[in-house]
Amino acid sequence: MQLVAISLTVNGQPVTAEVEPRMTLADFLRDQLGLTGTKLGCEHGICGSCTVLWDGAAVRSCLALAAQADGATITTIEGLVADSTLHPVQQAFWDEHALQCGFCTPGMVLTAVALLQENPNPSEAEIRETLSGNLCRCTGYQNIVRAVRVAAERIQSGRGS
Amino acid sequence: MTLQLLPRGKWVGARVKRVEDPRFLTGEARYLADIQLPGTVHAAFVRSPYGHARIRSIDTSAAKAHPGVIAVFTAEDVAALPPLASSLPIEGLVPTPQPVLAKDKVRFVGEAVAVVVAENRYIAEDAAELVQVDYEPLPAVTHAERAMAPDAPILHEDLGTNIVYQKVTTLGDVEGAFAQADRIFRRRFHTNRFVASPMETRGCLSIYERASGQLTFYSSTQMPHMLRLFLSLFLDIPEHKVRVISPEVGGGFGQKMTIYPEEVVIAYLGKVLGRPVKWVEDRRENLAAATHAKEQIIELEAAIRADGRVLGIKARLIGDGGAYSFNTASALIEPLAAAGIVPGVYDIPAYQHEVIAVCTNKAPVGAFRAVGWTAAQTARELFFDEIARELGLDPAEFRRRNLITSFPHTTVTGMVYDSGSYRESLERALELVGYEELRKRQQELRQQGRYLGIGISLYVEPTAWGSEIALQAGFPFPSHDNATVTIDPTGKVRVAVSVHSHGQGHETTLAQVAAEILGVSIDDVIVEHGDTDRAPWGMGTYASRSAVIGGGMVALAAQEVREKVLRVASRLLEVAPEDLEIQDGTIFVRGAPDRSLSMFQVAFAAYLDGRVRAEGEEPLLSATKFYDPRATYSNGCIVTVCEVDGETGLVRLDKIVAVEDCGTMLNPMIVEGQVMGAIAQGIGGALYEAMVYDENGQLLTDTFATYALPTATEIPELVIDHLETPSPVTIGGIKGIGEGGLLATPASVAGAVLDAIWPAGRRIEQLPLTPERVLSALQAEREG
Amino acid sequence: MKPAAFAYERPSSLDEALAVLGAHGSDARPLAGGQSLIPMLSLRIARPSVLVDLGRLSELDTLRLHDGVLEIGAMTRQRRIERDPLVRDHVPILAEALRFVGHPAIRNRGTIGGSLAHADPSAELPAVALALEAEIIVRNSQGARTIPARDFFLGPFTTALRDDELVVAVRFPTLRAGTGWGIAEIARRHGDFALAGAVAVLERRQDGSCTRAAVALFGVGTRPLRATASEQALVGRPLSTDVLREAAALAVDAIDEPLSDVHGSVSYRRQVTPVVVRRALEAAVQRATA
Repeated sequence: MQLVAISLTVNGQPVTAEVEPRMTLADFLRDQLGLTGTKLGCEHGICGSCTVLWDGAAVRSCLALAAQADGATITTIEGLVADSTLHPVQQAFWDEHALQCGFCTPGMVLTAVALLQENPNPSEAEIRETLSGNLCRCTGYQNIVRAVRVAAERIQSGRGS
Repeated sequence: MTLQLLPRGKWVGARVKRVEDPRFLTGEARYLADIQLPGTVHAAFVRSPYGHARIRSIDTSAAKAHPGVIAVFTAEDVAALPPLASSLPIEGLVPTPQPVLAKDKVRFVGEAVAVVVAENRYIAEDAAELVQVDYEPLPAVTHAERAMAPDAPILHEDLGTNIVYQKVTTLGDVEGAFAQADRIFRRRFHTNRFVASPMETRGCLSIYERASGQLTFYSSTQMPHMLRLFLSLFLDIPEHKVRVISPEVGGGFGQKMTIYPEEVVIAYLGKVLGRPVKWVEDRRENLAAATHAKEQIIELEAAIRADGRVLGIKARLIGDGGAYSFNTASALIEPLAAAGIVPGVYDIPAYQHEVIAVCTNKAPVGAFRAVGWTAAQTARELFFDEIARELGLDPAEFRRRNLITSFPHTTVTGMVYDSGSYRESLERALELVGYEELRKRQQELRQQGRYLGIGISLYVEPTAWGSEIALQAGFPFPSHDNATVTIDPTGKVRVAVSVHSHGQGHETTLAQVAAEILGVSIDDVIVEHGDTDRAPWGMGTYASRSAVIGGGMVALAAQEVREKVLRVASRLLEVAPEDLEIQDGTIFVRGAPDRSLSMFQVAFAAYLDGRVRAEGEEPLLSATKFYDPRATYSNGCIVTVCEVDGETGLVRLDKIVAVEDCGTMLNPMIVEGQVMGAIAQGIGGALYEAMVYDENGQLLTDTFATYALPTATEIPELVIDHLETPSPVTIGGIKGIGEGGLLATPASVAGAVLDAIWPAGRRIEQLPLTPERVLSALQAEREG
Repeated sequence: MKPAAFAYERPSSLDEALAVLGAHGSDARPLAGGQSLIPMLSLRIARPSVLVDLGRLSELDTLRLHDGVLEIGAMTRQRRIERDPLVRDHVPILAEALRFVGHPAIRNRGTIGGSLAHADPSAELPAVALALEAEIIVRNSQGARTIPARDFFLGPFTTALRDDELVVAVRFPTLRAGTGWGIAEIARRHGDFALAGAVAVLERRQDGSCTRAAVALFGVGTRPLRATASEQALVGRPLSTDVLREAAALAVDAIDEPLSDVHGSVSYRRQVTPVVVRRALEAAVQRATA
């Protein structure tokens, strides 16, 4: 069986591994690295539950092979913050009741984090458009959208004027 | 010991942030797929590609020989396992036992035919492809009415028919009502088949310890104790050696409120193979083989007086049950539940219903949030809108003229509505949406060739599924739930409950109840659920029962523990227990707050100071209480505003207003979350979601590319408002919440679309309202 | 839902990649962004024996302007194209079209070469390429050839690419100053493939009459289509509401092999084709200046 050598950074830590070519990045993170915060909701790239940050950009880890991630810097939900504090997006999700069963939450949070990095002051429409790639079956999205707005405001005011 | 009133102090009724959230936010929460045990092997099911076929032979040799494969099982290999069947004691209901792996025949695409166990799922899927099944395809039937025809292909040959139930029930003077009517209207609806589609698919993990005979079974289930009971019986393992753990569950909505063939098979494989066996369902399996819902053909006839009063209704409700009258609640779950709710909030004195349940070559139908009620509500509200328009009445006015206004009210179907705010919720919703202004605006826009629509859906919702309400709804289901509240020696509180959370926030809401009654902070309370070793026996979470039943049983148990605490404290403080209060974890003498003890001190003494024990008393600061509530009904009104693009049929939802009344609210924030989530599912059912089979039983919608869930851009502004009409018959006046949004929203959204394109010459009788269907209806209007 | 096994090649240069493809022929599939191919692998609809990962071919990740042409390397990520000032300034319709393509996470990985080679009949980028008369540069080990967009898309998921060829770049003629453009599509949800879509590019004179019109349809046929009848009905005529409406009505003539699936039937797509064409034209007229 062919194995491919990969060398990447995951949540700030260097990782080297040998993977079967067909292993998805999602399965690599979950099964080989034990980082089960990244969820599999569909495995065909529509639900967004598997979203991770790849060189800072949101990507669907079920739509990448682990082999492709050689040289990449990956952040999963577990690596969003280094210590036991919460990222403003996580805190806002908590404050605004933006999660119920929690399954879509890691993907939602990372998508929102990536959005706010690119667009620190998104309108509601922009938030909805970006999040339309993340399915949630529990919340009806309204609290999630509000949480992203709240996080945006807090991040901006946190930085001062 | 009864407790009618729930104190409302710091906790009950407050918008308390959920205590469970941090672990979900950080990715630490463990769902079934996340549980990783050394030595685990992985299963993949071989599933039927045919809607209807005989199995001539199965050759597993190539699969078994594949490297990395541990075992391959077919029906032959699991002959020890009995089939699953509904045991609902309803006369005339014919059971259709479902083998856990298909035997002799397959009856729907996706039915499990064999299972492969391998070192990992990749290999298991490789080997699954090597299993050779020789099928003889048979003609399939995918339409319920065609399945009823004498020459239809028969799914269960020994029955000689696809009809598993058919019964007419006449309530009140139906003939008289129709004889007196000024007008009679008829309508037919075929509601769409749509599904729960929780973001987490099904899955289970079976660990059997040979030396002790202990089975530990993890499953993404809503009913851990019931699952334990069934597994014990099916696998012939003594019940005290079965432990079921429902870990974090990523949504259930009723789809996980049943026992599945796959669970039985995986549990068995764990026993037989001596290694932990894990199955994580993929999305294609979930869409094809997990229970479907909502599909009915409903024909309504109404006897109407000239002033708009409904004198009587006749209904024929055909439940398209799929290939098996599925275990737990049978193929009656949709049409029978629907039949009971057709009268709804309206005072209908005469009602005849014919309930029919039919098998077809599609996935079996089971529970999904507001099961049966969604279809009935959709049919009846749209029907009433049409009648109103035919009579020249505003749809809101038509409803007003028929509302039940005094309580308790016993309906013609035997439901006893304990209390309600039907009129108030209607008026409030109309006020919030600006109804009068909207109607004017609608007229103006019509002049401009634009189509604005308003849909009103007024509903009553049976909740808190206990024995009484189940019976009133037509289902003789038992109900048994318990809570154990315990204060440990350091004063910390454990609340163990039989209801299980899969997103409803029980760890917070039930902690709120315990904290309120015990006088402590919710930071000192932990709620345990999901593990049959830790949680007391009960039915699980479904049918909006946890606030009432969970809240009620926790209140009862907490009250008893509170009394024990006060007795101990009274001995320590040398006052009568009635003179004591508890607040913020401090027990103090009323009027003399300096004479106090902390909960820590009292609890410590209760356990370790023999002097505070009294003769004949149980010193353990724990109580277990049961609660099976009286029937209680929530209600509400959902109004949708939409605009239809006359050139494309696309529907833009502008706003949805939902006024809901679930009596006393434990946590309004959680209530709103439930309502919004249910509304979103209702939007899915109205506009986007449909399970589509072709005439050969091939499933055309088996991925998220073809089964379209609504996303953030499809959900409009949701305005949620609350009325609180406490129940006079439940602890704390709490009513259930959770399903109303899905019960009522498809009717509201579809009603808005139809209102927008009125007067469309051709009606729409089929959901979802795809752009194509809407355009087609509009065009019929234009063509005259 | 796991992919079937395949052999994996990870060439470091274009020449290496082409050599591998040349050696394996139809048994090999190139992997660009993977946003279309990987779901097909997971669903086991695609089962190549060899997967050739183009991810190291940074030489194909380029975006440059020369001689009135915007040349974009095949491995350039869609998200980069969407946000690049050169694209905004010179071929803004491309940036706008990308907003309809899936979601940001898809565009972070998806490439322009991959989208064109995949040739989904409901996709936006092939239609933009067709409307703008882009040129697709393809190579194999023997050399390069230039395929005009109109000869590139042959049918559903079928292009003029030979088994041993890779798209290496696409050249978009830059839009002349004053060119109007518009895109309209009908999709059930944001980000979904279109049930019907149109790309319109117009140039007009001072007096308002049309000097050039290009209208490309997507989502209605088995490949992107130029609505030549519509275009002919526009050139030389004033761009009035009636003219636009008449021209849009003629677009259905272009649909030779119609598309149909659970989301929309042939008849629905035909009915709404004139609507999207007209809306795309209206947007183009709004933007056009003499």
